[in-house]
Amino acid sequence: MEERKPGVYLCRGCGIDEAVSVDDLEQVAGTELKVPTCRQHDCLCSDEGVETIARDIAEGTVNQAIIGACSGRVMTDRFQFNGTSVIRANLREQVAWSQPAGDENTQMLAADNLRMGIAQAAKTVTPEASAEGETSSTILVCGGGITGLSAAREAVRAGHAVVLVERSDTLGGWAAQWSKRMPFRPPYRDPQDNDVAALIAEVSGNASVTVMPDTVVTRTEGSPGRFSVTLSQGGAEKIETVGAIVVATGWRPYDASRLGHLGYGTSPDVVTGVELEGMLGAGPVQRKSDGKAAKTVAFIQCAGSRDPDHLPYCSSICCAVSIKQALQIVEADPEASAFIIFDELRTPGTAEEFYRQAQEAGVIFMKGKVKGVDADLKVVYDDELLGDDIPLEGLDMVVLATGMVPNSTNPEAAAAESGADQLVDDIDPEAPIAIAGYKGGNGDGAAAEDAAQTPGDGGEDGNGDGDAEPALPGGPILNLQYRQGPHIPILADGFADSHYICFPYETRRTGIYTCGPVRRPMDMAESAEDAAGAVLKAIQALRNAGMGASVHPRVGDLSLPKIGLDICTKCRRCTVECPFGAIDEDENDYPILNPSRCRRCGTCMGACPVRTINFDNYNVQMVSDMIGAVEVPDEFSEKPRILILACENDAYPALDMAGINRHQYSPFVRVVPVRCLGSVTMLWISTALEKGFDGIMLMGCKSGDDYQCHFIKGSGIAKERMEKVGETLKSLMLEEERVAVEEISIADSGHVPNVINSFADRIVEIGFNPFKGF
Amino acid sequence: MAQSAPDTARKYDLGFARWVYENVEGGDKLSMCMQCGVCSGSCPIGTEMDHGPRKLFMMIRAGMKEAVLTSNTLWNCTKCYRCVVRCPRGVPVTYILGGLGTKAVEMGYVKTEDTVRFSKAFWWSAKTFGRTDERLVTSRYHFSGGFGEGVKKSLANLKIALGMFKAGRLHLGAPHKVKGTKNLQAILAKAQEIEERAGETER
Ligand SMILES: Cc1cc2nc3c(=O)[nH]c(=O)nc-3n(C[C@H](O)[C@H](O)[C@H](O)COP(=O)(O)OP(=O)(O)OC[C@H]3O[C@@H](n4cnc5c(N)ncnc54)[C@H](O)[C@@H]3O)c2cc1C
Ligand code: SF4
Ligand code: SF4
Ligand code: SF4
Ligand code: SF4
Repeated sequence: MEERKPGVYLCRGCGIDEAVSVDDLEQVAGTELKVPTCRQHDCLCSDEGVETIARDIAEGTVNQAIIGACSGRVMTDRFQFNGTSVIRANLREQVAWSQPAGDENTQMLAADNLRMGIAQAAKTVTPEASAEGETSSTILVCGGGITGLSAAREAVRAGHAVVLVERSDTLGGWAAQWSKRMPFRPPYRDPQDNDVAALIAEVSGNASVTVMPDTVVTRTEGSPGRFSVTLSQGGAEKIETVGAIVVATGWRPYDASRLGHLGYGTSPDVVTGVELEGMLGAGPVQRKSDGKAAKTVAFIQCAGSRDPDHLPYCSSICCAVSIKQALQIVEADPEASAFIIFDELRTPGTAEEFYRQAQEAGVIFMKGKVKGVDADLKVVYDDELLGDDIPLEGLDMVVLATGMVPNSTNPEAAAAESGADQLVDDIDPEAPIAIAGYKGGNGDGAAAEDAAQTPGDGGEDGNGDGDAEPALPGGPILNLQYRQGPHIPILADGFADSHYICFPYETRRTGIYTCGPVRRPMDMAESAEDAAGAVLKAIQALRNAGMGASVHPRVGDLSLPKIGLDICTKCRRCTVECPFGAIDEDENDYPILNPSRCRRCGTCMGACPVRTINFDNYNVQMVSDMIGAVEVPDEFSEKPRILILACENDAYPALDMAGINRHQYSPFVRVVPVRCLGSVTMLWISTALEKGFDGIMLMGCKSGDDYQCHFIKGSGIAKERMEKVGETLKSLMLEEERVAVEEISIADSGHVPNVINSFADRIVEIGFNPFKGF
Repeated sequence: MAQSAPDTARKYDLGFARWVYENVEGGDKLSMCMQCGVCSGSCPIGTEMDHGPRKLFMMIRAGMKEAVLTSNTLWNCTKCYRCVVRCPRGVPVTYILGGLGTKAVEMGYVKTEDTVRFSKAFWWSAKTFGRTDERLVTSRYHFSGGFGEGVKKSLANLKIALGMFKAGRLHLGAPHKVKGTKNLQAILAKAQEIEERAGETER
């Protein structure tokens, strides 16, 4: 590469000049570190300030701009100079705004931040796009229910061709069977006509959609932009190349035969909500037993739902579904009575209107828990308000509102030969750990997801007997030919991988997006909306793959991990720990990267024991040098130094926000942003301790089942690694408490100063690092 | 639908709620109750009721006909209308309690003899003085069942009477009157005439 020509640009605006001596900082850069070009400006982000930098670059005196100003999270559009690497030293949020002005410690902090920026520049190369070959813009949609159909429609509208794969011989999924649909348009009062047929006609009539009924995916290879999928249509196989995949395999009803205590199986007139739909479609509802009209019908809500012995979760739709069905019954026959026995009635949003409509129509709602249903359809429920067991006698029919079980595997296919263990844990296949709602795994495994363990939770098979057999039935949906197994990873309660709140469609397999009830229970309107979201993600994935750029959360990043195979020991840690299955093993067992699957988290870099994985602009040496650039005063100065390795997704912004809110915290911290805690290598810890840092704190997102880690497993892996660092510290005769891991979310700006200060206090109590000065 | 009158042979009757919805004053709105309890929480004399309104309404849904129609809630409600004003679902609680009382009387769940005697005493005082005089109304009511019963009832209430006297709620001497009792009586006579003209009235 060409010779580095760094230039340091210091801003005096936004209170920086009042807080620190900018002239002294210029001394640090120019005199101490011999940076040839150093400039100051009153407002660096102004046109004039930006022009100063641009001029140096144009004249060829600078090809790396080190900007000592605001946080690197802001003004990114201003400080952007084509092809020139820009390094940001935070002097505003994390110095001027969070430390007392004019203080010696504040000046030292600013100087160290600048030193770290200059050290960072010395190890940074601007990454170049490494787009490889042709990519496909076709989207594969797996599952032809309302979710899949909506996905196909949205993809076509956005100009993409679609291959729609459906396991059964018809499109529409369950929704095609519903006689009426819950209201989804104002005034949200009455059951509406089911319009699924029109959607089916629209999608199957569209020339850009290839509908493949009777088809399953038997194999998926490749990566975003170039997935090669083998489709088996009634046994005949065909290979398609697609750019991205949307999984909309929907759900199946909870097995009512497990609900004997609610009368299922004891009388033919105890039916499920799904069964009632068929009866409603066939005309006036008749009893199965004797064909007589069903005049008095009781609905039992939460039948097998929110019950640790069955489905531990709420399926979110069955309350509104029973309302719909009860209304249909009383509206069809004014002599009919419908009772809905609920524990809590969940009618979010506009469903509340629907609830009122049913009340007005005379549907009778009773609050309590059903204790049992006998063969004569006598329902006994414990009325919470009356504090008594109330019998309902003389019913013609009992309807069980059963929940939805996600089709995150294909129960109609045989289990895969390998990879069942992956469903319960894909960090270390040797060590499966239990996931909420599943009985699988023996729970004695790796601790990375320890927080996720919820012992005693019933599995979806709900037999509650605690056997160690993996409970999840069926084969993989896509049969991924990935190092980490054939399945799409599964989260809590058997739902396909997705973060409900922060990044709903993301799975741990880049370019593959789940939507609809396969990722969380939802109704048809929500499913259609969800499909649109997943399709947009899919489009972004295939387009970025074409440009060699990353997707969420480092959208647009062109850097890639470069694996130096010369010293690789084939230990496989990188292949196993990559949260996204981006690294496979080649025929000689060497790691081989699938670039467009990579999210650039650096977990592989943190994993590699010989540190042979690095990025152009983020590498082991770079952070080590940044740590090394900090000036550590001797113990007599009574100024401890604490290294904070802060996740750039949540913890670093929380620190910035603390500054924005003018919360002050210990001036002894030195913050290095990291892509993910998963990228933290042990070398940085030992470098810092050798350098004389007194404490080290890792700040990252929440790990475990309810993770908030943007790379899903990174913070969990870091936690696991740090558990081992305690041993190392002990062997060095250092106190374990010198290294801490904290979970910080983006909303923690008010709390983060306390976390820092109490850690600093603890370090002072323990005393200075004895290695200081060696 | 025309739900037939509830089956009295059973403690729980599935048809009772529908019957109330369709036959009791305000009952058509009762279906809107969502068991929030605002009515019971607002009721100033809730402690004097067998069941708060919310509970009574849940008993209706549970089909507890007899327990509902014999509940003192129907009679102890003072018609203050707090619950009606506050109910978020627009349930006319007060009317429904009154309506249930009417049905309870019609269906013979309430022994009315005593109530009738009290009402007569009350009406006499209201008509004569334009106000109710506690002392005269009670004694008139107490002795309406004969001298012996009158003495018994009066003695039983002696403590209350003394307490009321101390608190200035009961006075001796001539009863208080409104101004123009003649006019009042003329108004009442006119009202009676109108009512009679209108023929059969419900209540
Ligand atoms: C009784 C009942 C009534 C309901 N009524 C309403 C209502 O009135 N209004 C409303 O909004 N919601 C209603 N819902 C919810 C609604 O049914 C769901 O939201 C909807 O079915 C979700 O559609 P989907 O396409 O995601 O799933 P599904 O309908 O399950 O469709 C998934 C499709 O994928 C196919 N598939 C599965 N696995 C594979 C595989 N491995 N390969 C290929 N294809 C596969 C399946 O064959 C199916 O066609 C009701 C739910 C219940 C239980
Ligand atoms: S939607 Fe209603 S019936 Fe269904 S699980 Fe949730 S609370 Fe129970
Ligand atoms: S950077 Fe992250 S996603 Fe990419 S290969 Fe490494 S661990 Fe996997
Ligand atoms: S972690 Fe490092 S040494 Fe191990 S296989 Fe990967 S590249 Fe090779
Ligand atoms: S206030 Fe209205 S809705 Fe609430 S419990 Fe009373 S009657 Fe029902």
